[in-house]
Amino acid sequence: MIVRPLGVGLPYIAALPPEIYDPGRLDFVEVTPETLCRERRNGRVVTIELVPDQLERARRACGALPIVVHGVELSIGSAQGENAAYLDMLDAFQARWPFVWHSEHLGFQTIPGEDGTTLEVGVPLPLPATREAARLVAGRSAAIGARYGVPFLLENAAYYLSGLPADAEIGDDTGLLRAITERSGGFQLLDLHNVHCNAINQGTDPFAAIDGMPLGRVLEIHVAGGSWHDGFWMDAHDGRVPERVWTMLEYALPRTPNVAGVVFEVLEEHAVRLGVDVIAEELARARDIWRSCRRG
Amino acid sequence: MSLLDLQTAVGRLVRATDGHDPLRGLQLDPDERARLAALVERAGFRFTVDVQRSWCAGRAAGAAKLTLSLLPATERRRVLDDWVSAGGGTASFVATEADAFLEFIARRLRAPSHALTLCRFEQATLRASEGALGFAAPDPSWLAEPGWVLRTGRYAAVVRFHAAPHLVLAALEGQPLPPISPETTSVLFGPGLDGFSRLATSAEVALWERLGAPEALPVLIREGHRQEVIEALVTPGIVELAAT
Repeated sequence: MIVRPLGVGLPYIAALPPEIYDPGRLDFVEVTPETLCRERRNGRVVTIELVPDQLERARRACGALPIVVHGVELSIGSAQGENAAYLDMLDAFQARWPFVWHSEHLGFQTIPGEDGTTLEVGVPLPLPATREAARLVAGRSAAIGARYGVPFLLENAAYYLSGLPADAEIGDDTGLLRAITERSGGFQLLDLHNVHCNAINQGTDPFAAIDGMPLGRVLEIHVAGGSWHDGFWMDAHDGRVPERVWTMLEYALPRTPNVAGVVFEVLEEHAVRLGVDVIAEELARARDIWRSCRRG
Repeated sequence: MSLLDLQTAVGRLVRATDGHDPLRGLQLDPDERARLAALVERAGFRFTVDVQRSWCAGRAAGAAKLTLSLLPATERRRVLDDWVSAGGGTASFVATEADAFLEFIARRLRAPSHALTLCRFEQATLRASEGALGFAAPDPSWLAEPGWVLRTGRYAAVVRFHAAPHLVLAALEGQPLPPISPETTSVLFGPGLDGFSRLATSAEVALWERLGAPEALPVLIREGHRQEVIEALVTPGIVELAAT
């Protein structure tokens, strides 16, 4: 085992009643620190600062449950540079609230502006499956792993945009993750709903995609819900987990010997709409599968 | 094509560019341009653009709720569309998005109008609340020290209401707006004020307007601005001290 198995977790969502973060329902909490922050801009200098009240409220809600970090602002694949302000903020966060591991999304969301500034694209975009992308992200992943002294995981992306360039030796998004984890010694967050989305939208076999991942490096698994929009199955985190994703979880868990946690992801606005009882049912089902697969 | 060039091209193609050529300034050969042209024809690319615009409009709408709620539905949609087309809505942090979007809306509103007043009210409240995080009231004894100038606070504002403020604010709860009055009531906003705002006196408004450019304390006193008025604005961060 690379880290002690935690079990089943839920993102920290400030709008949910804090009673949901109960060890009777879940085993750990996934925190996105940016949701506890504000941004300050002074000319071209951008900083991300923790808001003490929000941090304290989150800590009170989570109690003694262990936490993992799931960031959204790093943009680890941006060729012009990752988000240094995010890492500076994460230094401060770790000093106040240590985490078992730290994850980010494999992709990019910033590009150079024409005046030398950084432009946010507004949505995360996939990386091309190239040696250059693999080298870039692997180097940054290794540095981040060393900086925080806990495992650093990259999440496989859901993408609608296909047809980006690819090097034959890398192949596709799965090959890109393999190449990055091999070079960096880093780990993977296997997002099964993203695999499900890509299988529907790109016409691929989700189970073959799982088999192609660096399964020995998977420490965390995400399950989530989505919905149809304009002919695409969207990674919307807006509802219950589809049956096929539960089946994929039953398939993936026995094949991921180092997996330490499963998280049910849901966006804040949808979490409030779904309510505590529905969320608790999804957590209970994830726990049943987790316990049954670990016994097997 | 390098990773940097590819990301710049794809990112610009996905971002709204307000009619400009998204590939301007990029050194792309004909093959690379042809590959990008094929990429944008894919349904997945078009859907990615739709998602980007939807997310950007959603961020902007959430960042300027009060002001947007006062606009007719068609105008609300138009201002959101125009903002996203101008490249807005991409900031992840609400306060950053809100300040820029409210400034964009303010430039389109008639002056004077209650809509413009409420837009400035929302912007000033957000700025003051941002400034309140970590705000510490300065010691006014520093005013006696040489080497300082006074300037308007970075998280402060004066908003002018063209009717009694409570009548204008009642419109946010569905009440009809009062007629525009030639008399104005000025409201100060600052990070150190209770509730971030209070009514301004004419002496305070005069000082605020005088500090459109930073000025040294002795000059202000010579001009007739009173020390107690200055201190009353420095303490809650409406006026700031800055090193010369």
